[in-house]
Amino acid sequence: MTQTIASPRARLREIVARLSVPGAIVVLLIIGSFVSPSFLSVGNLLNVLNANAAVGLVALGMTFVAVSGGLADLSVPANVAMGALITLGAQEAVGPIPAALLGFLVASLGGIINGLLIGYMRINPIIATLGTGFVLLGLSQLLVGGGIVYGEPSAIADAVSGSILGIPVFVWIFALTAAIMAPLLARTSFGRWTYAVGGNSVAAEASAVPVRFTKAAAFAMTGSLSGLCGVLIGLSNGQARPIIGTGYEFVAITAVVIGGTSLFGGNGSVLRTVGGVIAIALISNLIVLTGLPTQSTGLITGVIVITAVAVDVYFRRKEGRT
Amino acid sequence: MTRATVVAVGRLAVDYRLMIVLVAVSILGAVSVNDFVAFDTFQSVLNRATIVGLLALGLTPVLIARQIDLSVGSTLSMAGISTVMLQPMVGNVPAALLGLLVGVLIGAVNAAIVVWLRVSSLVTTLATLLIFASLALLLTGSRPVSSPDPRFGLGLTSELFVIFSPRSLLFVLAVVAMFVWLRYTPSGRRLYAVGSNPPAAASAGVNTNAYIASTFLISGLCSGAAGVIQALSTATGSPVAGAAMLIPAITAVVIGGTRLEGGRGSALATLGGVVALGALTAVLEFNGVPSYTQAIYTGLLLILLITLDRLVDGGGRKAVRTHGKTRAEVIPNPAVTRRKS
Repeated sequence: MTQTIASPRARLREIVARLSVPGAIVVLLIIGSFVSPSFLSVGNLLNVLNANAAVGLVALGMTFVAVSGGLADLSVPANVAMGALITLGAQEAVGPIPAALLGFLVASLGGIINGLLIGYMRINPIIATLGTGFVLLGLSQLLVGGGIVYGEPSAIADAVSGSILGIPVFVWIFALTAAIMAPLLARTSFGRWTYAVGGNSVAAEASAVPVRFTKAAAFAMTGSLSGLCGVLIGLSNGQARPIIGTGYEFVAITAVVIGGTSLFGGNGSVLRTVGGVIAIALISNLIVLTGLPTQSTGLITGVIVITAVAVDVYFRRKEGRT
Repeated sequence: MTRATVVAVGRLAVDYRLMIVLVAVSILGAVSVNDFVAFDTFQSVLNRATIVGLLALGLTPVLIARQIDLSVGSTLSMAGISTVMLQPMVGNVPAALLGLLVGVLIGAVNAAIVVWLRVSSLVTTLATLLIFASLALLLTGSRPVSSPDPRFGLGLTSELFVIFSPRSLLFVLAVVAMFVWLRYTPSGRRLYAVGSNPPAAASAGVNTNAYIASTFLISGLCSGAAGVIQALSTATGSPVAGAAMLIPAITAVVIGGTRLEGGRGSALATLGGVVALGALTAVLEFNGVPSYTQAIYTGLLLILLITLDRLVDGGGRKAVRTHGKTRAEVIPNPAVTRRKS
């Protein structure tokens, strides 16, 4: 679907896109091993992956948003906050597992609202999700009166912060979700619709692809996965504040873009995003290990996004697409 | 009512929304707050709305040109902290001017990426939003900076004439200047052409790239001014000062009737939107509504208005279907269109 016309330039672009992520990861690993001797240990790498698995879930959903030509979902921090706050706040009333489900559902509802506004009302996705994010974050602050919510220790909280076979549960959940999402995009009709809508929505509409549903579903999935991210972080931290997901939207966007998925739709894959998440994880670890201030993370990710998108735009223009 | 009447009423409501919102807010204020409708209230509303107002004013030409600038809040923070941090080194007035320059420079960065690299303004300014917000935190170590000369900017919020403070007078003068430019000069009118039909404007000999670039410079200048004024009047440069101001600014512009789809808008309407939003905030505050609840109202108002715009402008789903995705989902980059034509 992505590149059926094999012009030499398109082929070059495809090769660059395919090799850039594994290449970047190898380069990062080499730099890292020079920066710090503890970098290349299994323990450190697992920790790094563990710390980025939750936001990685959001990036998996954001991949569908990007491939369907929906640019990005900026309401992620609000949905993460909703998931975490409700999971912890409702524990006393309904018990830990129903509370976690409730948090997940409310965040999914946020995603569905985004989907309706963007897919069915055709509102610009950035403005729509900025708006819903603003409202939902306000609601989540209203919920906790602007303060912190603490959770009770529970079996499920212990379960998500533990390890299975020496690998953290967060990483398992990320890997399993990726294992479901990858074939969903690559092998199902829904996946083909997503590519079609992002590639050329007029042609997709003419070929009876449910354009509105496909777009809406991408945002609904991102909402759900943001909620799941919030639930997991809330449970493992045992406390949550409304600002818990601040910046997650940018990390997810960066992971998608580093993976080589275009924000303007029509190509990309879940596996590339997984690679992007790993690359982001290594970069943030390197920032810490080299002693750079943590505030520079946003600076570096911002520059990466703009560079990657500029390269993408350049190649698209050379191919005569806009 | 027939469907036609419903559509006609809806269109009227959308066209006169500024009046409707202003009247509704005044009635709400008059009913719920004693002595709400008074010069004093107006003065304080206008004074406090100056900062968001300047951001909204800068966004107006950007939206008319069918672009967007999401980085206005970060620009505000950067200009504010630059001014305060430079004060001890170069003196008060030069520091304020350099703060403005920082704003213009950030606008220039946006303009360069949009026009030269041809990245859509949404993605560009989303990235610069993140970059400059991080840079502001990095420069200040995430802590607010206090001005060494707190008395310098104190006068900005004092009372001048009946309804103005110096800073709100400055804002209103800027609105008038923008209004005259957009309405009465040939270059202002060409900007509308660039926004409503970029290829047509280009083939009529308008240098669309120059117009688009200049809107980002104006937006940077206005956000820079907002940052400098905010920092001087509070004697503090906060690295997160602008973080929560993007949505109120966009909402104010949209209340005024400027469309995200480009080609429409007016500086006076933006002033109206700013006053309406400021008055709404004041009413909510007088009634003891916490600030995060105000965020809910502001966000809902924005979503409601842009949804109405889509419904009325596109004539419902059917009409939109024919021209596919671009108008709504990706604000197209006239720069690219021009290149193709």
